[in-house]
Amino acid sequence: MATLLLDRRAPTASEPSQAPSLDSRLMTDTTPPEAAQAAADELAERRRLFQEQALPFMDQLYGAAMRMTKNPADAADLVQETFVKAFAAFAQFEQGTNLKAWLYRILTNTFINVYRKKQRDPYQGTIDELEDWQLGGAESATSTSTRSAEAEAIDRMPASAVKDALQSIPEDFRLAVYFADVEGFAYQEIADIMKTPVGTVMSRLHRGRRLLRELLADYARERGMTAAAPATTTKGSTR
Amino acid sequence: MTDCGCDKAKEELEEFLHNELSAEQCSDIREHLANCDDCSAEHLVGITLTTKVKEACQEKAPDELRDLILGSIERLDAR
Repeated sequence: MATLLLDRRAPTASEPSQAPSLDSRLMTDTTPPEAAQAAADELAERRRLFQEQALPFMDQLYGAAMRMTKNPADAADLVQETFVKAFAAFAQFEQGTNLKAWLYRILTNTFINVYRKKQRDPYQGTIDELEDWQLGGAESATSTSTRSAEAEAIDRMPASAVKDALQSIPEDFRLAVYFADVEGFAYQEIADIMKTPVGTVMSRLHRGRRLLRELLADYARERGMTAAAPATTTKGSTR
Repeated sequence: MTDCGCDKAKEELEEFLHNELSAEQCSDIREHLANCDDCSAEHLVGITLTTKVKEACQEKAPDELRDLILGSIERLDAR
């Protein structure tokens, strides 16, 4: 029922020239109170639906915005702008399709068009073409026991160290990792959000995760967290 | 169902982790992981990394943001 209301868009102040033919025979120079009431009801309904369906994604979008803009004030602005744009376009959103992916597309577009320009990332535009050796963190042949120790070290890592590492990798890699690992989007959905082929998504994801792993390994080495045999670490877990 | 071997497993572990493989490919990798400590350890690093990143990135928007958004939407209606 709600969708029926949404499909039939009310004439709003933003499109004054559009006089629906169906209504024109009912309308004189001044809009009859019933029509105005219907339009108001429809807007109220759309707003209610938007609050109910889209607003619950606010914290998630804010998390993504934090990874994009790297600071709370810009992240809050970006999320607000995203919701305003999403609401303005909500009548065009096809109910029953993936609202979360739709919101992330708007968020990412807004970020790229508005915020990225201010930020001057020296890697922009060339990062996908860089060779692996230029990125550092080449795959090393490590033993099974080293891998087990690595998994354990990552597991004990404080959240702040993980965030710092994520924040320091190139933006396109960071976003691919965020979309896949935090949001659980499918590769094809990430490709749609980032407007890039699936192959590029896979490459960004792979390189991003590898850089992250290297950074976390460095962190663990610096703190002497590595290669601790599980049996010897009996200290209480302090986080 | 056949064990896919180390090379193929290593190549596809990330897609496996992200649920991007077909049912058949998944069962091949699972079979390999069951028999290969090295690839299992590698997979564990992958899972741990994903889990940690996910945990670290949980954010709560500032309390006032919701009201700011609702306010903007009201104004949009009133135009």
